[in-house]
Amino acid sequence: MCATGVDQAVGMSLVVFSLLLFTYYSVWVIVLPFVENDHVLHKYFLPREYSVILPGIAAVILLLCIGAFTAVIMWKNRKPKKVD
Amino acid sequence: MTKLLQWLFGVSLVVAGWALVSFDLLDLKLPQPYREVAWPMPLYLLVSFGCYSLATVGYRVATFNDCEEAAKELQEQIKEAKEDLRKKGLKM
Repeated sequence: MCATGVDQAVGMSLVVFSLLLFTYYSVWVIVLPFVENDHVLHKYFLPREYSVILPGIAAVILLLCIGAFTAVIMWKNRKPKKVD
Repeated sequence: MTKLLQWLFGVSLVVAGWALVSFDLLDLKLPQPYREVAWPMPLYLLVSFGCYSLATVGYRVATFNDCEEAAKELQEQIKEAKEDLRKKGLKM
């Protein structure tokens, strides 16, 4: 009695995505300062300022999505006031 | 000392340690790579907590214990119960 196929696919893809994100961000923040500036690894990573700006932008987008979702739900649930 | 005060004390110790390393408040002149790693630490911890939450949600979605036969059986029983009550006069 396992979760259905789509559920498993979605769940596993979330796990893989978050592992990839964690690994990339960890290397970016923790490993890269200890690697000399002309090593080839630096080619795969954006400049370090982006490691602060990109999560900031992602947080703003997340808050916007939550706000929009809440607004849509509240809009759909508005009941017209009774007129006497 | 209340739990809140204990937590605030712990958090302020951690923040003080981070500020000391990042902004070189005591002029310790630590090597540059260590300062570069310490500075984004709060944001890094937040991002890794987010990744952990996402992974936990995904894993629990993937391993959720759906019981399809039990769900069908329950729907059948609900139908039977509705019929039964309707015969006995309860309006649905």
